[in-house]
Amino acid sequence: MTDLVSPAHAAATRQAATDLETAEPDRAAPRFQAMRPACAEVLAELGDRFEDLVVLAADGHALAMRFLRAHPERFVDVGIAEANLVGVAAGIARTGRRVVVGTMAPFLVRRAAEQIRLDVCQPGLDVTLVGIGGGLGYGTLGATHHVTEDLAALAAMPGTRVFCPVDVHDAAWALREAVAWPGPAYVRLGAREDEVVFTADQEFSVDRPRAFGEPGGALVVATGATVPQALRAAERVRATGLPVQVLALTCVAPFPSAAVAAAARTARVVVTVEEHLAAGGLASGTALALAGWWHGRFVPLAVDGRRAPVADRGELFRFYGIDSHAISCALLAPASEPGVTACASS
Amino acid sequence: MSGSAPVVHADRPLGSGRHQGDRTGTPAVAAAVRRRILRFAVDQPVHLGPSLSVADILVTVCAAMGLGPSFPDDPARDRLILSKGHAVWALYAVLAERGVLDLDRHDGPLAGHPHEETAGVEVSTGSLGHGLSVAAGLAEAGRLDGHQGVVHVVLGDGELNEGSVWEAVMFAAHRRLDRLVALVDANGMQQEGRTAEVLDLSPLEAKWRAFGWHTAEVDGHDHLALAAALADARAQRHRPSVILCHTIKGKGVPFMEHRAEWHVGRLSTEQLATALAAVGATADSGSDD
Repeated sequence: MTDLVSPAHAAATRQAATDLETAEPDRAAPRFQAMRPACAEVLAELGDRFEDLVVLAADGHALAMRFLRAHPERFVDVGIAEANLVGVAAGIARTGRRVVVGTMAPFLVRRAAEQIRLDVCQPGLDVTLVGIGGGLGYGTLGATHHVTEDLAALAAMPGTRVFCPVDVHDAAWALREAVAWPGPAYVRLGAREDEVVFTADQEFSVDRPRAFGEPGGALVVATGATVPQALRAAERVRATGLPVQVLALTCVAPFPSAAVAAAARTARVVVTVEEHLAAGGLASGTALALAGWWHGRFVPLAVDGRRAPVADRGELFRFYGIDSHAISCALLAPASEPGVTACASS
Repeated sequence: MSGSAPVVHADRPLGSGRHQGDRTGTPAVAAAVRRRILRFAVDQPVHLGPSLSVADILVTVCAAMGLGPSFPDDPARDRLILSKGHAVWALYAVLAERGVLDLDRHDGPLAGHPHEETAGVEVSTGSLGHGLSVAAGLAEAGRLDGHQGVVHVVLGDGELNEGSVWEAVMFAAHRRLDRLVALVDANGMQQEGRTAEVLDLSPLEAKWRAFGWHTAEVDGHDHLALAAALADARAQRHRPSVILCHTIKGKGVPFMEHRAEWHVGRLSTEQLATALAAVGATADSGSDD
């Protein structure tokens, strides 16, 4: 295998990677905000706007609290019964009403998978499924509460739009967009607080992911909570002289293949990073978008099959190698080691 | 294995026009329905046992709905969901008899489970344990809209093994969904044998009652009893109703009755002739009891 990077450059990048641990972040102190209260406001606003909107919950009212106060007759709590939750949602939606279902993501996605597939998505009903606490968001609550296959599972459902918002502003947009979309949709919300990346007046789009930085030698494709990690990594890596662009995907299905391909055109390294399994996630989507024409180093950073330790979300990001450090390492790894990060042992 | 030409669609709606939209004469319709079900099984494997057991229930429900050729698009309409979707052959036969589904003009194979693009099929089903939840959602929305349309959902007793059914049973009673009527085709058998042996459901009526439902138990092949129970269920207020219909798997064809091996079957020419004769005799008598 030919090393495309000069020995001097390789040494410099290795040095840069070792320095990462101690490097001072350039960014201002990050701000964190929970998506759920903001989405509760949005839901109430949507309830005012759409008189046909019905909201369903499974013994969890936080997302619907404001809606419930304003429109109690259009709120239904089915109890802790996710299969019935989704079946009832389908029945209501069949009469032409818009339905929003909000409950904890792991139980919604896994337990009600068949109802989602057969009762909602197959007939293309107007149901927005809001999964609270997707990915590793519930941290130390443990593996029962983690769901790292939700994006893939929902993307595999026919005609379903899948949103994985980055922050509170993105989440508010995604919820509005999902409800306005006349077919089935899934919105993954954070369990607790997520780093604020955007401003309230930011413009979002289903097929045009937000780009940070100009196209260059390296591209990071990220979604949800890995976006701030990618931005942090990009800032550090740019300091070594390597131009990095970060693409932040909020809508992952339909996958914005054209936008990802366009961004990758000038890149010699593409890193995908997701709080999700690689299969069916960003890694798969990006690989399909690049297959057959793009040549370079592709590093998929994703949750893998290892059992999650009891740890908070930040620690789990480190454990699975989807944090800013891992992204920096992946960007700076010598080209002779495809798929291997420069500081994997750290 | 039969080499004969398909005779699947040979039956015209019995007494063409007589049963389209009317609410009486159901035993004769049921006999015609059974003949259709049997003919379906000439050139393909068909869920014969459960289709024959549920036939009288579907005939009665569709009669009560007044289902006719102009399948209504009215949002306040009565609806029917066949949650035990594998008995779809009975549904096709009833829809054909009532002039909703024109089998002569149907292109391609008929789906082995209800497919909502087929005329008269309200909701696609096939995976057990879904129909009652969807029906409850329809009833919930109907209440929001102030509609009086009744949502009928037909379940198998074997289907009651599914836990999701009981989530919906609890939900419908809690929400007092009185426009919801469930009918259980309690033929006492499931694929591998007797329900009592696979997973005992008894005491079934007491279970539904304990969950807060209005209950009725009838002979699921007695059209008068079925119609009376259905009228009573449709008139209930403040609680959903279930009619436990005691039926015979394979009803009407002696060599299929109570036989688990006829859960799914395909008929040879000789078997079809024997079966049609059995069903025809009851048709001539105007009653199959």
